[in-house]
Amino acid sequence: MGRGSIAAPVPAQAGIGLRLPHHALVLAERPAAAWLEVHPENFMSDQHSLGELELIRADYPLSLHAVGLSLGSAHGVDAAHIGRLRQLAEVLEPGLVSDHLSWSVAGGHYLPDLLPLPYTEEALRVLSRNVGQVQEALGRQILVENPSTYLSYAASVIPEAEFLAELARRSGCGVLFDVNNVYVSASNQRLEPAAVLEGWRRALDPRTVAEIHLAGHALTRTDAGEELRIDDHGDRVCAAVWTLYERALAWLGPRPTLLEWDTRLPAFAVLQAECALAQAHLEAAPTRDTDAAPARCHARAV
Amino acid sequence: MHAPSEQPLAALQAAMSAALLASDPAGQVLPAALFTGAHAGAVGLRVHRNTVLAALSHALRLSHVAVDRLVGEAFFDRMAIDYARAQPPRAPQLDEYGAGFAAFIEGFPGTGSLPYLAELARFEWQLARLARMRAAPGAGPVLQLDDGVRLRFAAPLWLHGASHPVGEMRAAILAEDAAALARLPAGGDFHYALWRSDAGVNVRPLGECSARFLAAVYAGASANEALAAIAPGSATAGGGGDPPGSAELLGREILPAGFVQVERPADGCGRP
Repeated sequence: MGRGSIAAPVPAQAGIGLRLPHHALVLAERPAAAWLEVHPENFMSDQHSLGELELIRADYPLSLHAVGLSLGSAHGVDAAHIGRLRQLAEVLEPGLVSDHLSWSVAGGHYLPDLLPLPYTEEALRVLSRNVGQVQEALGRQILVENPSTYLSYAASVIPEAEFLAELARRSGCGVLFDVNNVYVSASNQRLEPAAVLEGWRRALDPRTVAEIHLAGHALTRTDAGEELRIDDHGDRVCAAVWTLYERALAWLGPRPTLLEWDTRLPAFAVLQAECALAQAHLEAAPTRDTDAAPARCHARAV
Repeated sequence: MHAPSEQPLAALQAAMSAALLASDPAGQVLPAALFTGAHAGAVGLRVHRNTVLAALSHALRLSHVAVDRLVGEAFFDRMAIDYARAQPPRAPQLDEYGAGFAAFIEGFPGTGSLPYLAELARFEWQLARLARMRAAPGAGPVLQLDDGVRLRFAAPLWLHGASHPVGEMRAAILAEDAAALARLPAGGDFHYALWRSDAGVNVRPLGECSARFLAAVYAGASANEALAAIAPGSATAGGGGDPPGSAELLGREILPAGFVQVERPADGCGRP
């Protein structure tokens, strides 16, 4: 066990986001799931839950999906938080480690949300530096996920897909491609999701995409009566996102695909049923010669 | 000098952070020139503000279940949001967020009829902290009694003192037992043992003598020293009436409490 170790690779199958209320069931019954993903921040100070996860991890490949690194913070990533993540990764030896193309820390305060970045050269430099620092500390490649967005900055001059592609090129990180987030962001920007996906296809080297996320979202209205989609991970995956996923698989080939569900968490069996739908899509997907590059144990120098 | 839409990333993040945590409407606004797209920037800012404040409120609710039930969801959110704005978290592991919540709600406007609210919050925070710890069987102190019997105490175990019966109060609130809540004494000196076992977090009310005895045990005292702490006339015995005899204390409050295992010496055949 050591820096960058991987106990079991995450397979190109459908996995489930494991949340604390399901620990007891998973420990008692070891239900069928190709792999599991957890938020590491839930285990950094909760030693009791970490003990449970150590037992669970013995039977499932595991991915750590962080929400608190704040990779886009202009003032850098908190070294203490990187240290906590490294400690967890050394214990759990996950197949994948990821976080988001966003920021959540400013002035020493942590804001629990994935706040958007302006897609500028300055932000790209900040992210490349921060991602490099994290990969260096962990001794492995991380994946960076495209977020759902509810606002656009006038200062943004680089399309999101090109921005993330360039970040991958500069830092050596991989990409976690969230299909639901593509749909939510495109809808909120009044863009055609299929056209936005085509932009991703043109911009991104498919070999950098090592994981896909799927989730449900909420549809609400603004005070002005306009539709607004909120990425709340609180429902089944909608039909339009399944269609987009199918197109993404046609482009990427089979990829480890996670079913995320965080709010209004249903019974584990419901997650398994959603997961089975994703698995059916994966099995129908054409195999490409664009398989994701295997996660490296040592990050490329930035 | 940068135009609003071109300000450096650090300045943008500082401004947005301040706008998301601001309570006054004027402070929640950022220049419209910063944003473009289908929705006004204020729409997106509101989504993010709601997400941030709801997540922080949810985190506090998880660790203050009885406080939430007692004051109701809407009032709890008011306290939680005010607290979030005054003391936002400094780290992403939100189960550590809320250490100052009890002190913050002490005297919070509208809580005058609930003088025990802050103490209840303090008690729940200790339970939440303990819930995050692993039980450590065998790691607690061991007392060797004169007859060869050994008392092995649970770990971790904390003593908690309060001027209201917060343990019983919490149990009654969670059981929705208004009659039990109404029967509780208004004030006094209350002591509790809180400990972690594999099964969960346990609470046991203690008398004052038992609390002193346990405090001595967990401070590393020997059996005689711990028992001396409750003896009449001991420096720490205090007022509060005649303390019970040590045998009575052990038999009545300590041994049945669930946080101590009794290990008897093996007999000649190796049987305990």
